[in-house]
Amino acid sequence: MSSTAQDVSGLPDSEKPLLTGNQTFASITATISGIVERKTPPIWYLALGAALSLLMVLFGSIGWLVYEGTGIWGLNNPVGWGWAIINFVWWVGIGHAGTLISAILFLLRQRWRTSINRFAEAMTLFAVSCALIFPAIHVGRVWVVYWTFPVPNQMGMWPNFRSPLLWDVFAVSTYFTASLLFWYTGLIPDLATFRDRAKTKIKKFVFGILSVGWRGGNRQWKHYELAYLILAGISTPLVLSVHSVVSTDFAVSILPGWHTTIFPPYFVAGAIFSGFAMVVTLTIIARKIFGLENMITVNHLEKMNKIILLTGSMVGYAYGMEFFIAWYSGNIYEQFTFINRAFGQYGWAYWIMVSYNVLVPQLFWFKKLRTSVPVMFVASLFINVGMWFERFVIVVSSLAQDFLPANWDYYSPTIWDVATFVGSFGLFFTLFLLFIRFLPMISMAEVKTVLPEADPHYVAPGTKGGHHE
Amino acid sequence: MKIDSQTYRLTDPGKGGTIALVAGIAGLILSGVGYVTNAEQFFHSWLVAFVFWTTIALGGLCFTMIHHLTGANWSVVIRRLPENLMVILPFMIVFVIPVLFGMHDLFHWTHAEAVENDALLQSKQGYLNVPFFMIRLAGYFVVWFVLSRLLFGLTRRQDNGDGTHDGIIKKMRVVSAPGMFLFAITLTFASFDWLMSLDPHWYSTIFGVYIFSGGFLAMLCFVTLAILALHKNGVLVKEITKEHYHDLAKLIFAFTVFWGYMAFSQYFLIWYGNIPEETVWFLHRWDGTWKTVSLILVFGHFVIPFFLLFPRAPKRSANWLRGLAIWLLLMHWADLYWIVMPTLHKHGVHLSWIDPVTMIGIGGVFVWFFWNRTAAVPLIPTNDPGLASSMKFVNS
Repeated sequence: MSSTAQDVSGLPDSEKPLLTGNQTFASITATISGIVERKTPPIWYLALGAALSLLMVLFGSIGWLVYEGTGIWGLNNPVGWGWAIINFVWWVGIGHAGTLISAILFLLRQRWRTSINRFAEAMTLFAVSCALIFPAIHVGRVWVVYWTFPVPNQMGMWPNFRSPLLWDVFAVSTYFTASLLFWYTGLIPDLATFRDRAKTKIKKFVFGILSVGWRGGNRQWKHYELAYLILAGISTPLVLSVHSVVSTDFAVSILPGWHTTIFPPYFVAGAIFSGFAMVVTLTIIARKIFGLENMITVNHLEKMNKIILLTGSMVGYAYGMEFFIAWYSGNIYEQFTFINRAFGQYGWAYWIMVSYNVLVPQLFWFKKLRTSVPVMFVASLFINVGMWFERFVIVVSSLAQDFLPANWDYYSPTIWDVATFVGSFGLFFTLFLLFIRFLPMISMAEVKTVLPEADPHYVAPGTKGGHHE
Repeated sequence: MKIDSQTYRLTDPGKGGTIALVAGIAGLILSGVGYVTNAEQFFHSWLVAFVFWTTIALGGLCFTMIHHLTGANWSVVIRRLPENLMVILPFMIVFVIPVLFGMHDLFHWTHAEAVENDALLQSKQGYLNVPFFMIRLAGYFVVWFVLSRLLFGLTRRQDNGDGTHDGIIKKMRVVSAPGMFLFAITLTFASFDWLMSLDPHWYSTIFGVYIFSGGFLAMLCFVTLAILALHKNGVLVKEITKEHYHDLAKLIFAFTVFWGYMAFSQYFLIWYGNIPEETVWFLHRWDGTWKTVSLILVFGHFVIPFFLLFPRAPKRSANWLRGLAIWLLLMHWADLYWIVMPTLHKHGVHLSWIDPVTMIGIGGVFVWFFWNRTAAVPLIPTNDPGLASSMKFVNS
């Protein structure tokens, strides 16, 4: 089997080389380290400036919230959970792709994950950071945020252990911790590469400390790989548990539209769906700007789009089940809620949700469309929006019109709702820009394992002794 | 049992198939006796047995499609076994006939006088009525027939070297991708029709996924047992190795957890919401000795296999795996029994001799059919381009 030829279009997917452009170990290191080592491009400063400005919007909004209280938001009597909870669920959902890619796809031996896992894991951490802001501020009294933790105070009051809001605290913080450790463990060999390539003493010192004495010896790799496998095993249930717990915030109540048994797997599928959409959005931008088309190929993007098609359809299945069972239940409140969702005062939001989340991914049935970068970029943006509206539909439509018509009201956000949400992008992009400037955005050590040379049975072309010919 | 090492066909399929057929026919005759002596019990037992074996065949269809869609390599060498399960699926329509005759005994919603006095049942009449039930049933079997024939036809064409490798693989994917959607929809509504509507007032949106999780797990156990049976007779020992059943065992572990996740989600949300119209289903299953079955499912279907399958060693031991696979199949039966029977025996478990007889009746014919198919075609997809790498696959 000679793999030197460049024309691979005829090969089945499983045999196509994952990287293009005749990569070698050296070229991979040079490309990825080069992004960080070269002089900071002006556009980066520009982008960081924009992100920091948005971050100031976030801080300003939170400051005003703390000073004035939740009255600055559009909350009203039936709708006590507005954008804050929507944003929380949306950001946590986005955070799911990273761990799925790094842990579950690792356990499933999907080697294409190596080009995108670092990037996606970083995105996970930043998205979860954004998410954590919202539960912390959503009651307006950030100075008592420690009440969410089971810390006994002077009055001997404990949080209610039967409340899903407390489980959220545990689930999301565990998830963040495990993801951080996993991400950092994966970074160690690459940090050592940076240390070895560093030209200044300070850089050598900093990366030396961060790479915790990594030497790349045989024994170190052996232990490292085992540790990585164990961390993947530990992280895998977290991918499922976090959004399942988030779903219980709604589903343990008895509110029609919230209380339904499919919520845990439905939320997990939706989270993976929105996470992948965000990875696609960011990947397309990054690979274009940094010229990484040979590392993150259309083949990688196509595989992500297939997962988007799958999970988007799972979400569609859940929408369908909810609707069908609402009718089948014979319960007039359930029936009203769903008819009202689709045709009531928030019908526009419902149809945005259905068309962006279920119909748009169906474009990816066609190979032409799922391998077209512009198409998938636009589709991924639609999905990001659609998944925000899914949470809007769930949170707002069920609360605004529940059992008693006398309680009904229409909810609309204020400028401060919008500012807080838009501001959270500032935090996200600030962290992201810092990440791509100072750390390797593709896992050099892992991506090298997909090269033919990394296979223990590899025989270099032109040498004798191969039994593969 | 002997195998031709060139064609991978069984030259001597052994007596297993015949024994299964004899047992099956005996079981069916005794089931007939059961029908005469206690029709109501017979119909319920038969429904459990029918769904048990059908979900295993459905699992085979699903495994085959996932295999094609993911382009998996490790499973090429075991692919033929789920494929042979899939082939049985359309023939299960024969075994659904007694269910149709027993609809009056099984499904409360078929009683016109009950519907008249029940506003809820009236509101569901658009779905829960006999003609539409039959139409849906026919629909499920048409879908399963078409999918399994298409996929099996393609796999045989691959065996015979028709067309190009890529062409066949592409076609397999073209069938499997929409096939997964059709599979999800048909399995969901079949589980609503055959199981959830036994208690026509009760509803749960996760029910279809719950039945899928148990059925897929049972299929994995069945395939594992089939491989171990082949190995016992010295067949495919070199081709299917410890590494493959290590991977199968990982999947069994994963689906044990997945079943637990589904079962827990359903139970927990209903328990917490505590709405009478939903809790009633679980309350029946907490009545008298049903409580014991509920607990057996919690521990036997999830907790114990979870811990036993957690370490590496049992996943690589034929004896452990055999025991666990048999146990989990028993648990799948217990799960379905626990879903179906409380509608008949409301205040406690009432095991009947008709329960095992119907299981053996359908199961014997099922296993015979499976074995017959297995002997009729090569035991591994000999022409699959991934075969070589599947055979030398190792867990690192």
